[in-house]
Amino acid sequence: MLTAEQNEELTAVEAGTPMGEVLRRYWYPVAFTRELEEFPVKRVELLGDFFALWRSPSGRYGIIPEPCPHRKASMAYGVVEGDGLRCPYHGWKFDVDGACTDQPAEKDNTNFQERVRATAGKVEELGGLVWAYVGPDPAPLLPRFDVYVMDGFRDIGWADIPCNYVQVMENAVDPHHVEHLHGRYFEFIGRHEGFTAPASFGKKHQRIGFDAFQWGIIKRRVLAGASEDNDDWKVGHPLVFPYNMRVGGGGIHQMQIRVPINRTTTRFMLYTVHAPEGYEPVAQQTVPDYEIPVFDERGHHVVDYVEGQDIMAWVTQGPITDRTTEHLGRSDIGVAMLRKMFRQQMAAVAKGEDPLGTIREPHERIDLPCEKDKFHAGGAQFALDFCAMGSTRYSPAIETIRQVHLSAADRVAADHEAGRTSFLPAGGIGTATLAPDTSAQVDSGRIPR
Amino acid sequence: MTRPPSTPPDGSAGARIDRRFAADVEAHRRDAPRFCPACARDLGLATEFWEGDERRFYCWCATCGWTGEITTTGETARGHEPQD
Repeated sequence: MLTAEQNEELTAVEAGTPMGEVLRRYWYPVAFTRELEEFPVKRVELLGDFFALWRSPSGRYGIIPEPCPHRKASMAYGVVEGDGLRCPYHGWKFDVDGACTDQPAEKDNTNFQERVRATAGKVEELGGLVWAYVGPDPAPLLPRFDVYVMDGFRDIGWADIPCNYVQVMENAVDPHHVEHLHGRYFEFIGRHEGFTAPASFGKKHQRIGFDAFQWGIIKRRVLAGASEDNDDWKVGHPLVFPYNMRVGGGGIHQMQIRVPINRTTTRFMLYTVHAPEGYEPVAQQTVPDYEIPVFDERGHHVVDYVEGQDIMAWVTQGPITDRTTEHLGRSDIGVAMLRKMFRQQMAAVAKGEDPLGTIREPHERIDLPCEKDKFHAGGAQFALDFCAMGSTRYSPAIETIRQVHLSAADRVAADHEAGRTSFLPAGGIGTATLAPDTSAQVDSGRIPR
Repeated sequence: MTRPPSTPPDGSAGARIDRRFAADVEAHRRDAPRFCPACARDLGLATEFWEGDERRFYCWCATCGWTGEITTTGETARGHEPQD
């Protein structure tokens, strides 16, 4: 439970607010690479502001606020010329640094051109996504998290969901929801709709823990039938501050991305890399993207798949959930820890410091800790459940993905028989991040159940 | 996105102010710690949660970085655990 003022502060995304200033210190995916190859200009909404994003014929990207500095017409309808973008209304042209380079109807007057500079952001392409930074200079580097650069077959599911991103992030530090929302509730829906829900999602939590680290918070759990020696506890997986969660298992690596489009709209993206042991490379010209369903034709939530269940929970909490009337329990301590982390980063930015998870050192790949044996369900079984019962069922590449996992399993068996070591794509830390017999920073201990 | 024109019909009560818990809101405003026990400056954040009958506040001080839980006790503070 928070005060209304604290809830307001926590959920803000707008420029000039403490949280909005934190959020403007990070890079965000704002387009699929293939979008700007198909048409070179896109209107982008990010953090409550609108921008024009473009790609020049030479492959350079630019992003500037949508209103033309001249008379506010939309630059998102602009004309890409050279590396710049020309306003469709009177032809003022801006380069990727935001400089006005042409005012066709004006006399040669460089002072006027310098006065009307657009505030340009930074844009880079990585992993089939176009990323933008719209905060103050100097921009940090775009973090090359493992999923975006590792070998594997990739696709991207997405949905725009009508709620504030913080309630999506709070879900990332809420281990208990899995056994209910994706366990008991999944089984209930399955009984009524005639399918069998995956058994591994319903295992009871025996212990939960959280550790703050350089990229966010590592979430840990011990499920019934397992121990602290299992990956779910000793490795865990991270909330990647402030808007991601790294998950995976069974040869699947995924970043769940939750871009704050505005205060009550979140672009939920599932960036998935299928990279099982024994993976045999599959050529991809483009990374396929696909929209996942939120509502059915009756306006009801689609709840017969894992992410649809999550979306139902996030959205039905309200566009901005009212934290003045919530009732947290001890099991919600991860939520309280995350709110503290948000508040800490507001203070850091106010003092002129870089917030958590910004990086300025050049790097090849950032491996994030992530359990490989998820829910101790076995690799192949988890992968099959993931494909059948999660958002991947909507992927246009679903048959290829199944084949990736089946071929890899065959290859591993053949390699095993021949005494060879199977190829394992690099990425993700599947080794312990917590020493044996130590507690997490925030630790429930064994939960009597 | 396929978004209905308004609140989904399958219920999103959280979108409206929940009048059932007005007393808890008032109690939170009254009891949430305002000052850091370590440095006595304004406390940065106090998230209230419940454990059994106890109301607890998970606190963080923006000035000195102190983190801890503060529990309301009412008139009677808890004594020692019973000895066997």
